[in-house]
Amino acid sequence: MKEQLQAIETKAIMALQAVDSLTALDELRVAYLGKKGELTAILKQMGGLTPEERPIVGQLANKVRSTIEAKIEERLVQLKAEAELKQFEAEALDVTLPGKTTKQGGLHPLNRVLNDMIDIFKSMGFDVVDGPEIETEYYNFEALNIPADHPARDMQDTFYVGDDLLLRSQTSAAQIRTMENRKPPIRVICPGRVFRADEVDATHSPVFHQIEGLVVDKDITMCDLKGCLEQVAREIYGPDAKIKFRPSFFPFTEPSVEVDVSCPECGGKGCRVCKGAGWIEILGAGMVHPNVLSGCGIDPNEYSGFAFGIGLDRLTTTRYKISDIRLLFENDLRFLEQFDK
Amino acid sequence: MNISLSWLKYYVDIPVSVEELCDKMVMAGFEVEEIVDLSKTMNNVITGKIAKLEKHPDADKLQICQIDVGGDELIQIVTGADNVFEGAVVPVAMHKSTLPNGMHITKGKLRGVPSNGMLCSGEELCLKDCDYPGAEVYGILILKEGTPVGVDMRDILHLNDYVIDFKITANRPDCQSVLGVAREVAVVLGTEFKMPQPKYETKGGNVNDLISVEVKDYDLCARYIGRCVNNLRIKESPEWLKLCLRAAGMRPINNIVDITNFVMLETGQPMHAFDRRDIAGDQIIVRRAANGEQITTLDEKEHTLNDSMLVIADGEKPSCLAGIMGGLNSEIKDDTTSLFLESARFRRDNVRKTARALGIRTESSARFEKGIDVFRSEYAMERALQLIYDLDAGDIVDGTIDCNNGLPEQRIISVSAQSINDLLGVEVPFEKMVEILNSLELETTLTDGVLTCKIPTFREDIEGRADLAEEVMRIYGYDHIVGRPMRGAVIRGDVLPTRKADDKIKALLCGNGMHEIATYSFFGSKAIDVLNLPADDVRRNAIVIRNPLGDEYSTMRTQLVVSMLTVMATNISRKNADSRYFETSRIYLPKSLPLTEQPHESPALCLGLYGKDEDFFTLKGLVEQVLGLFGLTADYEKSAEPYYHPGRQAKATANGQQLAVFGEVHPATAQKMGIDQKVYVAEINLEALYAVEQKQILFRPISQYPAITRDIALVCDRSLPVAVLEKAIRSVKSDLIKKVELFDVYEGNQIEVDKKSVAYSLVLQSDSTTLTDDMCNQVMDKVFDALKAVGAILRS
Repeated sequence: MKEQLQAIETKAIMALQAVDSLTALDELRVAYLGKKGELTAILKQMGGLTPEERPIVGQLANKVRSTIEAKIEERLVQLKAEAELKQFEAEALDVTLPGKTTKQGGLHPLNRVLNDMIDIFKSMGFDVVDGPEIETEYYNFEALNIPADHPARDMQDTFYVGDDLLLRSQTSAAQIRTMENRKPPIRVICPGRVFRADEVDATHSPVFHQIEGLVVDKDITMCDLKGCLEQVAREIYGPDAKIKFRPSFFPFTEPSVEVDVSCPECGGKGCRVCKGAGWIEILGAGMVHPNVLSGCGIDPNEYSGFAFGIGLDRLTTTRYKISDIRLLFENDLRFLEQFDK
Repeated sequence: MNISLSWLKYYVDIPVSVEELCDKMVMAGFEVEEIVDLSKTMNNVITGKIAKLEKHPDADKLQICQIDVGGDELIQIVTGADNVFEGAVVPVAMHKSTLPNGMHITKGKLRGVPSNGMLCSGEELCLKDCDYPGAEVYGILILKEGTPVGVDMRDILHLNDYVIDFKITANRPDCQSVLGVAREVAVVLGTEFKMPQPKYETKGGNVNDLISVEVKDYDLCARYIGRCVNNLRIKESPEWLKLCLRAAGMRPINNIVDITNFVMLETGQPMHAFDRRDIAGDQIIVRRAANGEQITTLDEKEHTLNDSMLVIADGEKPSCLAGIMGGLNSEIKDDTTSLFLESARFRRDNVRKTARALGIRTESSARFEKGIDVFRSEYAMERALQLIYDLDAGDIVDGTIDCNNGLPEQRIISVSAQSINDLLGVEVPFEKMVEILNSLELETTLTDGVLTCKIPTFREDIEGRADLAEEVMRIYGYDHIVGRPMRGAVIRGDVLPTRKADDKIKALLCGNGMHEIATYSFFGSKAIDVLNLPADDVRRNAIVIRNPLGDEYSTMRTQLVVSMLTVMATNISRKNADSRYFETSRIYLPKSLPLTEQPHESPALCLGLYGKDEDFFTLKGLVEQVLGLFGLTADYEKSAEPYYHPGRQAKATANGQQLAVFGEVHPATAQKMGIDQKVYVAEINLEALYAVEQKQILFRPISQYPAITRDIALVCDRSLPVAVLEKAIRSVKSDLIKKVELFDVYEGNQIEVDKKSVAYSLVLQSDSTTLTDDMCNQVMDKVFDALKAVGAILRS
């Protein structure tokens, strides 16, 4: 019987070599180790052995069984690994194919820039407020120190929708509403849509956007105005940006200045963008006119303040080097998509 | 305001280059729009005398000229003109020359004969008769007899000069004049300002014997000064005067007209000269026009006036639109012998309104609109009379008519010098302030730290401390202002809740592949017609702009759909790929029309989609997501907007408020927009979303017990909206129902006609125990009862 057992072991191991599938392996297991398997058949003959032989043969039989089992297990692992490998090969992808995504949209460039500006001003302690687009003459003109006989009231500049009602021509109108509703210290910006009767061309639009800024507190001076705008300029144009004041006129500020920034293109050397000047005009500003303060119930002897107005459309076209303001309102997909990033 | 450098130099020394002058003026508040170097207009054009003239051998119409240009040799030039003659002095464009019209001249051959340049016509040199006599003659410009040869034409035409275009801000009407600018130049350069002091002699008589003046409406005419000049000697103006006018872009006409124009440019005071023969009744009346009264102005246009307009009338009729334009009936003619000269101050807004109403804009009206100093009227009259005297243009009659209702007193402003520095944030020495203010003719003294300034009437803009601070600073130099970091309490900036809500919505929409658009707030008066709204629809009650740029920009929008359709139509016509857009903007809803109070500006959101992957439900999905951001689960039902497909539109409501309406755009509307494919639009009421109270998010423990899923298939009428079924399921009051999800709707052969099968998946779960079948069945039985009640039974 010993020989028989040895022979089974050898045969089984030989057979295992030839097994190349999990099914065949399972068949093999049944053929040798199953209830009707060869090894079981041998063991059934154990009854014919002497009591001395029995433990010896029994021991051998167990060894043979466990050897075969181990070999089967070994082969099983091998086969599984091979099968897995095959499956992986079959499932292999061209990883250079494009990924699947949900298409992304994007904000309009005007609002991208506006959001940046809001972040800048919020970090400097400015609240962001809002005002009506259809205004009364009082808020758009009178309260801003533009009396009824002032040339700035010219109908050619302002759209009228009623005797006393107009499309606001400047976000400065919101200054007044703010001062009426808040007590100093005041630090606000009011971004919004404004309207002027400008014929449409590459640099003019009857609809455009401003960001109005207003600060009112004790001891506010022109140096505070410059310091504030310097910080804004650095945020927008980088740490080396410088600004320059040029005297100008706005009815609601006195003194009034135009503010130039060192040309972001050439850094001030002079180039095509700044037309050789080294500076580009970015905004108008000034100290809040005492008539405006007192009109809003703020004592100009106790408080002073500054205001500024930034043209958002121009800021946007210069930031992205957009050649024609009309592109902003045309909304061609090929234009909008460029601002998805 | 165009001023030639040479004209400025009459009143002030300018020892610096034109560039330096302009830089300094810019920093003092006078922006320079343009500097034109007149000498650059032409190059290498010189005077030459025709020494010999002969016919071209091969061309009848050409002549060969030998020209003496002052050199050793004669220059041969072929010309086609026939007005040339031997001995004539003419402008010669030499080889390699440039003409004002941009032409470059080089030598060449004409019909085989060498020609070394070109003889110029007045037109080629861009000259008119008023620039040079005979310039408009057809042919070569024949220069005055005795003109030397070999002289640069720029010298002949006085083109060695610059014209500077200063932009004058609205607060400085006094600088709408050469004298005003010259005064500033003197301050900026620190040189002397030489104001002309008019002197002249009169020839007797008395103005009051010749004419009477009555001002009826002092509210519109604060001062009216009149003088008479007899025995007019109308002739051409001298060259210096013509040059000044030309540099300013005005055409010289005759000495009297030129003097009034010159004085207007020099002083800023428009003047008017009447032919005294035409003043009926020898009477001037300054009055409001009668309604319907007529006048024909100098430009031969007829105008019908109303009683808001001021006229200068004689005893019978209006003869001048005050401050705007003279009447044709009283203009100065070649045979005028006696004139009445006016220098007045008319109210600026009245001039502006009248000029606009009549569609006239003149040099005169432009100046009156900005404001005239009453004392300047007086000075200008004196200056004009002096020029009449100096140019021997007539005999000045004694006496002045001066109608006014009291002249303003000089204002005195006292301000602490330190308070000026406090506003500026810099320390300007007080003495420096005094020096600057005095140089600007604001007579200033300093006592105990207080500045006392006498403000001349031409500086109406100076009212107090802030104005004086500006005057000091613009001359002291804004470069002295050093930026200082923001001071004061640390404050936290914040945005409005509405902006936060917008940002949240926009992030969601961008993440769903939508592009934000920006469109105008107004459109054409007929644009809304594409929506096919009934005549009484409120959205037709749009606010109309009274003075629009044109009809296409005339009407404030009451909805965003038309703009969205326009953008989609543009992109579709440009073959731009399938895409999604959104816009947030205000719509303008009047409380009544015509508008008497501010309208309601309602924030609105509009979505627009087109493309092969889009349908009603991709649109609805977006609407649901937006509403979901605000924790809203809306009820959806069919809506009936005329611009959506009648069977493919819905409105979303919650708590009785309409939040959105959306659908496939009606093919008729799309077609009117030029769109030939399916497009989808949603309108969302942002105001309603803003109003939703944002609930604080509170964590709920996750149940430890298993969830049971029960799938049910129902049969109901085909027309029954599934929302009814879901509502029925949700009406069952049970904490155990955690989720109700529709997963299939079937209509077809396997089911009765007019019926449909709807399948739901319900998830049941308890927070406190493992559910048994019994417990689930109890809930499900209630669900089935509820469904049965709305007409849905279990599919067998």
